[in-house]
Amino acid sequence: MDTDNNSAPQITFPDVSESATEDATDFVQVKSKKSHKRKREQDGVGMEAEDSVAIKRPQFPPISGDQLKGGVDELRKIPVPPHRYTPLKENWMKIFTPIVENLQLQVRFNLKSRNVEIKTCKETQDIASLTRAADFVKAFILGFQVEDALALIRLDELFLESFMVTDVKPLKGDHLSRAIGRIAGKGGKTRFTIENVTKTRIVLADQKVHILGSFQNIKMARTAICNLILGSPPSKVYGNIRAVASRSADRF
Amino acid sequence: MATEDVRAMLEDCANKLNIKTRHTENFLELQDDVAADFTLLTKVLYDFHKGQEPGDCKSSPLEQLVVEDFDEEQIWQELELQNTAVLRHFETVVNDIISDDALTILEEEKDEDNIDEEMAEDIGEEEEEEPHKKPKKQCEDGEGDFTDEDSDLDFDVDALEKREKLRKRAVGKASKAAGVPSEVDDKFFKLSEMESFLDDMDKQEGKEGVEDIDYFQDLPSDDDDDLDLDEDVSFKKQKKHGALKSSRNLKYKDFFDAVEGESGKADHQSEDEDDSMDGMQEDPEEEDEDDEDEDTIKEKEMRQKKVTFNLSGEEESEGEESEGEDIEDILGKKEPNSEKSAYKSSFEKRQEKMKEKIQELEKSALGEKPWQLSGEATAQTRPENSMLEEDVQFDQASRLAPAVTEETTLLLEDIIKQRIKDQVFDDVVRKNKPKEDAFEYKKRLTLDHEKSKLSLAQVYEKEYLKMTQEKTDEVEKPAHVEIQKLMDTLFLKLDALSNFHFTPKPPVPEVKVVSNLPSIAMEEVAPVSASDATLLAPEEVKEKSQAGDVLGDTEKTSTDKKRERRKKKTVKRIKIKEKERRQKEKEATQATRGGENKKQTKAEVAQNLQKITKGGKAKILKDEGKDKAVRSSQAFFSQLQDQVKSQIKSVKDQALKKKKKLKEVSVGKLKL
Repeated sequence: MDTDNNSAPQITFPDVSESATEDATDFVQVKSKKSHKRKREQDGVGMEAEDSVAIKRPQFPPISGDQLKGGVDELRKIPVPPHRYTPLKENWMKIFTPIVENLQLQVRFNLKSRNVEIKTCKETQDIASLTRAADFVKAFILGFQVEDALALIRLDELFLESFMVTDVKPLKGDHLSRAIGRIAGKGGKTRFTIENVTKTRIVLADQKVHILGSFQNIKMARTAICNLILGSPPSKVYGNIRAVASRSADRF
Repeated sequence: MATEDVRAMLEDCANKLNIKTRHTENFLELQDDVAADFTLLTKVLYDFHKGQEPGDCKSSPLEQLVVEDFDEEQIWQELELQNTAVLRHFETVVNDIISDDALTILEEEKDEDNIDEEMAEDIGEEEEEEPHKKPKKQCEDGEGDFTDEDSDLDFDVDALEKREKLRKRAVGKASKAAGVPSEVDDKFFKLSEMESFLDDMDKQEGKEGVEDIDYFQDLPSDDDDDLDLDEDVSFKKQKKHGALKSSRNLKYKDFFDAVEGESGKADHQSEDEDDSMDGMQEDPEEEDEDDEDEDTIKEKEMRQKKVTFNLSGEEESEGEESEGEDIEDILGKKEPNSEKSAYKSSFEKRQEKMKEKIQELEKSALGEKPWQLSGEATAQTRPENSMLEEDVQFDQASRLAPAVTEETTLLLEDIIKQRIKDQVFDDVVRKNKPKEDAFEYKKRLTLDHEKSKLSLAQVYEKEYLKMTQEKTDEVEKPAHVEIQKLMDTLFLKLDALSNFHFTPKPPVPEVKVVSNLPSIAMEEVAPVSASDATLLAPEEVKEKSQAGDVLGDTEKTSTDKKRERRKKKTVKRIKIKEKERRQKEKEATQATRGGENKKQTKAEVAQNLQKITKGGKAKILKDEGKDKAVRSSQAFFSQLQDQVKSQIKSVKDQALKKKKKLKEVSVGKLKL
């Protein structure tokens, strides 16, 4: 029993497993999965007490990823709207490769429920990688390019912000269309300009606006988009974001 | 003999009792005869011990226990009456014994123990067997009490003195080692002592609080009685010692314990005086029942000469009630009450306290308020330097100047020294404003209107690399810097060899092509920046004429107008002359050719015609359309008819017109 449980982390703590087996021979303990982690800690404490007499604080060895999960595999589901099926199919290779290889997670697309499901497994090192993968897939589903969404996996401090055009100002009908048109610009010019200056990625999906980038940059882009919605001409918005961007660049 | 009788009687009673109570199960049912026997027994005992009682003892007035025709309850009442009175007495005695310095229970040495035990034993024996003799003795007033006691007990004077010394030293030590020394400790004040005092106060208060809640006590509480009795005792003791100092001879050490530095001296001095005079009175409130063990006396000794804290509103008012004849009383030490207050009920005492408090409060409320509470106080209204003792709180708008203390100075000096050692001075660095053309600025921040080729991850990667690689760039520079330095030295030497009067090259005029289009046309529909400044100066657009300002029609003076006219005329003259010259040349050429080209251009023909007709020399015959070819005879004749008719009409009209004209004239004339 003991050996089975200790075999998984044997790679990381060989010491612990040895003395744990010793303990097993001394007295039999009922093993339950829940108490698995706690017992480990107790062993650690007992060990330390035997080894060095004068240690007051219990020294716990760093815990590995699957121990952190507590033995249960977590699952995330990301629903896919119908208009993203085809892009998902086309980019499936590009999506699942980094998730599986870099983050060591298991991913599949459940055709019945039309969800992308991501699951941790034994090989998962970091518990936070599940969140990152979920965010990555969600970003792609929202409409970002795979390469752009990949930045979410590579960088820690990237965030995703969404808001609706009507959140900024209550617009209806033609005004709303015009506002959306202002955001996009002719051939997408305005949107690209904002993206380039603020180093973010923007997805304009009918009335929803999604911005991907670091916190400060999202703020800048959001300000620019809100100004456009409120009615400023694009030239003015360009001037403003350029000033802000140069200021923030100087700061660093 | 008497004792033998007493003993016999008592034994008899005890035997009877034992017999009766052997079978306790019998008590489950009513036993009238046993009850009668018991009552008789009690009566016997009561009568006996009443006889033994000393006269002075204030106990029940009943000489005999009346049991005939009395109910149980009534008999109980009689007994209670006696018991409570006597108990009080016993308590006084016991307290007296305990508080008696001559009989200390403190054990500093083994010898003392023995002595104490002996004394205790003695006391115990006496109390057990002859309880009545003791109170009898105690009740006697005056010094005789204690001297009797002294003679009764085996008393070692030397041992007593030794004990006293040790106790004093212990007290001294205790007072010195009374706890952790703290910041605010002084020669006179110790924080730990204060805290211990306060703890005791709290304990006391807690106990007395409990006592207050106990409403079901008929008789006055024992605590109060105790305290009062203690006060009596201590007061008596002081009197007994007799060596009351007159007010003139009182010194600091009579009131307070020795100051730390002088404790040694004080000890020696106080020892002598202590035997004769028992010093200050002990604080009666501090004698709790619980504290009546070894430590109580120590503490009492410690506290008796210290500065005590006047915690208002507590039970101390009890002690302060007395009208002290002694100076010690007047000077605030808690004095014992007169004996009559010993028998006041707790309610009465509480009432007195309340009354006092009320009186105090009323006095303070009615009386003049101190200057702190009477509104605006100028320097004249308050006593001198009284603000120094006040804790004033006020807001300050500006930050206080930093307090300059030794520590801050030292800190600063340390920082300065460290800076000098590290050679890192906060020298002012000259700042250069970077001169940037608008053109270059715009270049730097071009807006890219196209979709970025790099993905977001790559963008951030690039940025990160740029940030981290800046350091590596600087690393390369030192080589350049060195090269530059070497070159400079070399060139300096060369210059020294050659001419130092260096003439710079003439400035080459820079040619910059600038177009005068508004920026909106240069760039996209959406301009980068809306700039209304054109790129060419007005002088570059239109050359300023030599004449100077351009004048409007109204602005021109006559000279200007004439000048213009002259100019116009000369221009015209020149033009005409040119034309004529050309013409002559042409004719000359035509003449040379021999009149072959007589063709005239259309323009020349038209010109000639116009000349002629204008002049009126010739008339052009125009085809008015009357010669239109008439095809049919009917048409011809109708045309003819029309012509004639029109002719006639015209003639008639003329005649009419003439008449009308004439008429009209006459009418006009008539009108006037």
